[in-house]
Amino acid sequence: MKKIHAHVEEWFQEIEDSEQKQAMQEEITQNLEEKVQDLMRRGKTEEDAINKTIVEFGDISDIKQELGVKGTDNRAAKRKQFGLHLGFSIWGSSLIIALFVFINLYYTPGTIWFVYPTFAVAWWPLVMFYKWLGWK
Amino acid sequence: MIRSDLIRGHLDAIILRLIYEDDRYGYEISKEISLRTQDRFQIKEATLYAVFQRLERKELIESYMGDISHGSKRRYYKITKLGKAYLKETVEEWHEIKEIVNIFMEGL
Repeated sequence: MKKIHAHVEEWFQEIEDSEQKQAMQEEITQNLEEKVQDLMRRGKTEEDAINKTIVEFGDISDIKQELGVKGTDNRAAKRKQFGLHLGFSIWGSSLIIALFVFINLYYTPGTIWFVYPTFAVAWWPLVMFYKWLGWK
Repeated sequence: MIRSDLIRGHLDAIILRLIYEDDRYGYEISKEISLRTQDRFQIKEATLYAVFQRLERKELIESYMGDISHGSKRRYYKITKLGKAYLKETVEEWHEIKEIVNIFMEGL
C-alpha cells in the first residue's frame, strides 16, 4: 500500500501545491487502495493488483489541466485591477479636461482652444478602456 | 475496448448520470461503469478525477466526506440542482445528436 502512496505522490509532484491538490491526492490514494484490495479479494497477488491499478490510472495530464484552470481567480483579480486603472484614468482625464475648459472660458472666452489638450488627454482613458476590454 | 477519445465528450454526462442516481464515491463510479458496460468501457482514474474537478468547479456536483473505510474517509459526490438541469438538457441534446448521426451511419 505504501507503493500506491508513493506513486500518487510522484504523479502529483509537478502540480502546483494547493488545497484542491491535497484533497484530490488523498482521495485518489484512498480510492486506489480500495481498488487494490478489491483486486486482491478477487484472487490477484498484492504485487499484481498494485501494478494493474497503477497501469490503469492513466495520464495525469488530464488532472493537471483541470487543477491548472484555477488560474481563473488570478485572471479575475487582474481584470479588477484593469477596471481600477480604467476608473482612475476616466476620473483623472475628466478633471484635467474640466480644468482646461475652466481656464479657457474664464481667461480667453474669445478663442476655443481647450479642444486640443482634450484630444491629447483622451488617449489615456482610451488605452485603459481597450486594455480592460482585452481582459474580458 | 472502444476508442476513448470518441466517448470523451460524453464523460461528464455519464458520470453525472451515475451521481444523479445515488451519491457515489470515485472507485464506486469506475466500478459501476465497468459493470454496466460489461468491461467494454473502463474509465481511467486520471480522467475520472479530472471530470470530478471540472463538474465541481461548474457547480454541477458537490462533495462531502462519508463513512470511514480502509482507515480513511471516502469522498462522496452529490448532484446539485444545476447538475440535474444540465443533465436533463444534455440527455435531450444526445437524443438529437444520435438521430442526426444515425441518418448517416445506419444501413451501411
